[in-house]
Amino acid sequence: MKQPATGFRVVRKGFFSLLQDPGRFGYEHIGVTNGGPMDAMAANWANRLLDNPASATVLEVTAGGLELEARTNTMISVTGGDLNLTVNGEPQVPWRSFWVTTGDKLRFAHPRLGFRAYIGVQGGFYVPQQLGSSATVKRDHLGGLHSNGEPLQDEDFLPASMLAEEGIARQIPQRFMPDYSGDLTLHLVPGYQQQAFSKAAWQQLVQQTYTLDKRSDRMGARLSGEAIESPQLGMFSEPLSYGAVQVPADGQPIVMLNDRQTLGGYPKVGNILPLDGFSLAQRQPGTKIQFKPIGLMTAQQQMRRYLRFFGL
Amino acid sequence: MSSTRPQVSFEIAGVNALLVRFGDQLDPQLPAYLSALRHYLLQQHPQIIEQVVPAYTSLLVAYDPRQCRMYDLQLLIERALDEVPYSTVANKSAKLVEIPLIYGGEYGPDLDDVAQACRLSTDEIIHLHSETTYQVYAQGFAPGFSYLGQLPEALRIPRRDTPRQTVAAGSVAIAEQQTAVYPNDSPGGWHVIGYSPIQWFNPHAAQMTPVEVGDQVRFIAMDEEQLREWISTHNTESQL
Repeated sequence: MKQPATGFRVVRKGFFSLLQDPGRFGYEHIGVTNGGPMDAMAANWANRLLDNPASATVLEVTAGGLELEARTNTMISVTGGDLNLTVNGEPQVPWRSFWVTTGDKLRFAHPRLGFRAYIGVQGGFYVPQQLGSSATVKRDHLGGLHSNGEPLQDEDFLPASMLAEEGIARQIPQRFMPDYSGDLTLHLVPGYQQQAFSKAAWQQLVQQTYTLDKRSDRMGARLSGEAIESPQLGMFSEPLSYGAVQVPADGQPIVMLNDRQTLGGYPKVGNILPLDGFSLAQRQPGTKIQFKPIGLMTAQQQMRRYLRFFGL
Repeated sequence: MSSTRPQVSFEIAGVNALLVRFGDQLDPQLPAYLSALRHYLLQQHPQIIEQVVPAYTSLLVAYDPRQCRMYDLQLLIERALDEVPYSTVANKSAKLVEIPLIYGGEYGPDLDDVAQACRLSTDEIIHLHSETTYQVYAQGFAPGFSYLGQLPEALRIPRRDTPRQTVAAGSVAIAEQQTAVYPNDSPGGWHVIGYSPIQWFNPHAAQMTPVEVGDQVRFIAMDEEQLREWISTHNTESQL
């Protein structure tokens, strides 16, 4: 991959800004986790707006604070949470693509709605791949600009190509824009040790309202509510798939997400629908959350529709 | 050692994965079998099966739900179970990897405590730990972290009451039925009895980890001088 000399200078690194592509797959058997955009739907839109392939590297901006200076002329896209982006001081709404030129200052402030914004650039950011992916995973020391899993730092330079002429600015139709406000329902496909949980525990899980805990991170979303009884199985650690809902002895569920550890030893009630995991990534601590059972076939149908839509 | 495969059950693990469970007992033959099964499934059904992850008594099979229904995948796996024989595959493909290490002192700060807890001398601990041939039962937690079992009964003690904030990379540690070497600096609750310079994960190497599930491991006790020589001849970045 020939790296262009043009791109974006990181003036201020922000809270937590990570270069991401769809993720690192096929290495879980040696303990390497997936990574990838927490809200894959928004990341896919960021690339779609620019006619990029879905594999193009985007920037995930969590909680804002990032400031970039364009050192190129190109089309960029902004999707996901509204983190009060301004370009040269002018407020910008997300879910669209637009032209930027050398010297433009892009500034994210605090989240207005949602939690993570995605920036796509025509052709993608040029980032070296490790194990087939550019995804930044801090705990694995893999991916990102310097191939060490570190988030963006002040004065980093994000290589991106330069376009000879302005492209067509696009806006995503209103009906496709997700709503990140309000309570969230996580559809749950029963599985793993679900049978080992008591009927009362299961009832309680799907009836009570949980609160998204502030200790949530890219590994997992912690939910707090009245403790449910977790079966004492004395089990060996086993592989964790995306969205697995662990219930440790304290009875508080943890939804395992992109940077989850590949093995875990707690009983699990099943997995959430990945589409709901994407919405979960846009919620701030304190959000009210409920589980709702869903059949495997229905869940797979919804995922098929999503994959087909983005040509994945 | 048994020659019959444990009973198999299947569990849904989300929209694109199935968990195959092989009973709930550790069987020394199982890791090599799971590893052989993993290679077989990936080779036979590359269009359908995207990833296979073995660990202890289970195998996670990730698939493309657009290519195959869960029920059909289950049939494919059942057929594979018939075609990969349990008794003959086990241990045939496994390799034995020797891991040099230095026990005790500054390299193994918990060795004395472990000796006390086990009511053995430190020499006996070292002898028991290094004369055992271990299986790699699982890899996970961090890239290359290999769970080795089983530890001799005399060495089995619970994890530390308070986990350490940082366990240094290369720390050889024990807890319950297992032993392992920490590939990176990380928090950890195991008892550190030694240090090994082996690199457990190298994303730039063709073989990224020195062992895989089903392989066998033996620890080779060395003194500082021997270890320094080992490091110089093996061109690792490790230091004493």
